[in-house]
Amino acid sequence: MAAATDPARARNALLTASALAWMVILAGSSGGTVFSHCPAAASGATPFVVSFWTQLAMNSPASLAGGWCLMLVAMMAPTVVAPVLHARLRSLRRRRARATLLVLVAFGAVWMAAGVVLLTIEMAENAIASGPYWPAAAAAAVAIVWQCSPLKQRCLNRCHLHLQVRAFGGAADLDTIRLGLRHGFWCVGSCWALMAAPMLLPRAHVLGMMLAWVPMLAERLEDPAPPSWRWRGLGKLKRIAIARVRVRLNKLGFI
Amino acid sequence: MAQYTRRNAWNQGGGFDNPDLRWYAIGVFAMQQRKLADPSSWWFFAAIHGQSVQGVTVAPGGQPPDTFQWGNGFPTPPTVPTSPLPAQNVIDEYWDQCQHGSWYFPPWHRGYLLALEAQIRVAVVSHGGPADWALPYWDYISQPNVPPAFTIGVIPGGAGLPGVLPDGTLNPLFVAPRHGPDFNGAIYVPTEEVVQANANDPDYANFGPVNEDCLTEDHYTGDANLLPPGFGGGQTGFSFSGSDTGGLENNPHNLVHVYVGGLVLSQDQQTVLQEGYMSDPDFAALDPIFYLHHSNIDRLWAVWNTDPAHTNPSSPEWTKGPAYQGGRPFVMPMPGGKSWTYTPGDVASLSQLNYSYEQLAEVTAAPDRITARLERLGIVARAAEPVPAAPAAGAQVELVGANSGPLRIIGGGAQTSVRLDTQVRGKLMASFRTASQAALPDRVYLKLENVLGLINGFVLSVYINLPQGARPAAHPELRAGSVGLFGLRNASQVDNKHGGHGLNFVLDITKVVDKLYVDHGLDTESLQVMVVPHHPVPESAHITIGQISIYRGPGLEPQGSSEGR
Repeated sequence: MAAATDPARARNALLTASALAWMVILAGSSGGTVFSHCPAAASGATPFVVSFWTQLAMNSPASLAGGWCLMLVAMMAPTVVAPVLHARLRSLRRRRARATLLVLVAFGAVWMAAGVVLLTIEMAENAIASGPYWPAAAAAAVAIVWQCSPLKQRCLNRCHLHLQVRAFGGAADLDTIRLGLRHGFWCVGSCWALMAAPMLLPRAHVLGMMLAWVPMLAERLEDPAPPSWRWRGLGKLKRIAIARVRVRLNKLGFI
Repeated sequence: MAQYTRRNAWNQGGGFDNPDLRWYAIGVFAMQQRKLADPSSWWFFAAIHGQSVQGVTVAPGGQPPDTFQWGNGFPTPPTVPTSPLPAQNVIDEYWDQCQHGSWYFPPWHRGYLLALEAQIRVAVVSHGGPADWALPYWDYISQPNVPPAFTIGVIPGGAGLPGVLPDGTLNPLFVAPRHGPDFNGAIYVPTEEVVQANANDPDYANFGPVNEDCLTEDHYTGDANLLPPGFGGGQTGFSFSGSDTGGLENNPHNLVHVYVGGLVLSQDQQTVLQEGYMSDPDFAALDPIFYLHHSNIDRLWAVWNTDPAHTNPSSPEWTKGPAYQGGRPFVMPMPGGKSWTYTPGDVASLSQLNYSYEQLAEVTAAPDRITARLERLGIVARAAEPVPAAPAAGAQVELVGANSGPLRIIGGGAQTSVRLDTQVRGKLMASFRTASQAALPDRVYLKLENVLGLINGFVLSVYINLPQGARPAAHPELRAGSVGLFGLRNASQVDNKHGGHGLNFVLDITKVVDKLYVDHGLDTESLQVMVVPHHPVPESAHITIGQISIYRGPGLEPQGSSEGR
């Protein structure tokens, strides 16, 4: 059997990291109703009104960051495969690990910054009205509008766009960091609404996050397109699944 | 014997005495009389390849909007209709399908030719022509000039068909926006022979020659992460205006498009006023010469397949087409209002389609190329020694070095220094020092990446370590290769179907590197790469090469790379 290629190894490592992170999250959630690793939710799930600052006091920054980081690995590791492979092929072999790290750190940094905003919104929502579903429903409505908007397409187009990475010295590091930051920026632009909606759910965070994750992955499979108002969902993922099933059924003589 | 045989367009002198061309003109004329919205019209078929009827696309870098649109300021003939448009679902199903920068490039175009041919054949037969009529091909390597049937303005006396295409009618095979490599309307293809024969003529000094070197590619495909992209192109999904250009697509395909189409410059040479139809994928199929060019490209695919070692991909991602990967299917309108959905697997075998070409020359066998390399390197080939063992699939290419930033192409060209990493260069040198018949030294590739710009109509030739002040044409041994910028404008637009990566090209520079090694010029900190356009590039074309890099790979291509790595 042929050895896995470098791109295949890198891709598999990222997908494995995502799978492991999901396992840790699922193992840590109690009955699938409260997402304990979505840090603010640990306090917000209980039906009482507490102040924003009380929530902050109950969740240390380290635990907030750790929980958010775990969720990022689970949800975003597959979306960073393309820029990581892009950087690795354009790096000297001895610099590939360093380039990978820099892309991941830069990409993660953008999402961590986004996490400050998203978690703040979540805690504020808990402080104002912990318990009801309407904030999550409102966020879902915003997410649907965003999902259909031309601006969303602009973000997705730029998620596909990876430009040059120089080969040597500080310039190489700078370009890989820029690649990660840029990809992270447009990834946040593309996914923020889908992330926010399940975070505002009073319960079933894990389920909500997993449901939001599917269109996030599916829309990355689509090719770039001119920005316009249209529904962006599972289209290509669904078409792939149907095509594969048809081929299998055809092989088995059913069609 | 095959039912349909595509013959050389230059038979009977390449004019209307050639019945294949005469009936082609009659068929084209019939299709041109139909409306844009009619799926059997000439215009609809051109839009299947690519179109610029709808909307104004935005150029990269905040440049002014793209003004190259159907019917917008181009000279006639032909008069290209821009209405009535078909229904949106028909547009979505059929238009903008051409596969470029992709391993689907050969099969999609084969199906496209078959569909066009079927439409023309209906017209031919209805007017009393032969039922086995087939598209001729233009073999520009043997006949660099365009067949005269495409250059005369009106149907000559005795060549027409009374009541259908009478003598004296505007020749449907002639289009005014066809400017040629010299931008003066003289249509020919600068082949190696043409360029060499005019080596002392300054007008030919910078022409990148059209050749059939792609036929020596060992493998059909690579992918974006494993150079090189092979004969047919890199592994992609549905790829309208893609960037993983294969050998066949780059040269001769892209170069011929750009040379035949050409462009028109303003008097001060600073503005591109218009491009020839053939220079732009969104216009190219409006020109009847397009289909003869692609008939020849299709013939070259068939020629490549005559070598038993040259196999098409067998993975379902290729054989079952982009629909298997969730992309659009390939679909063509057929006579009688029917449609034909096909996959690469459906058209991979020419004989199964009941087609043949008048000439299908065989390719030089692979061992001869190895022998040639051994000779270049001064290694005495011995029959007793084993045949070199190909590395396993997964053997990797590795970056050796790159230049330090984008290279703007203006005027007569630009030069950049590609720094080579000391350690990797050491490995490369060691592969040469220890080379033997059983262990060939590394192959070396030069990658032009993120080539962006507003104008398609230029051919760039790439030279390595060209002496200061030397004429490029005098040093073909230092030429890494030539690339045509067909599709550049589309590929440079971020908010479009391509995504703005621009075009990428991978040139196999092993031959040049062998020479550098033999001449003791390889063990150096950097290589000087010069990019020479075939005609001075105005600044307004905004042509930039994002990065130029050099990779090393195994001395032989990995086994099984045609199987879809």
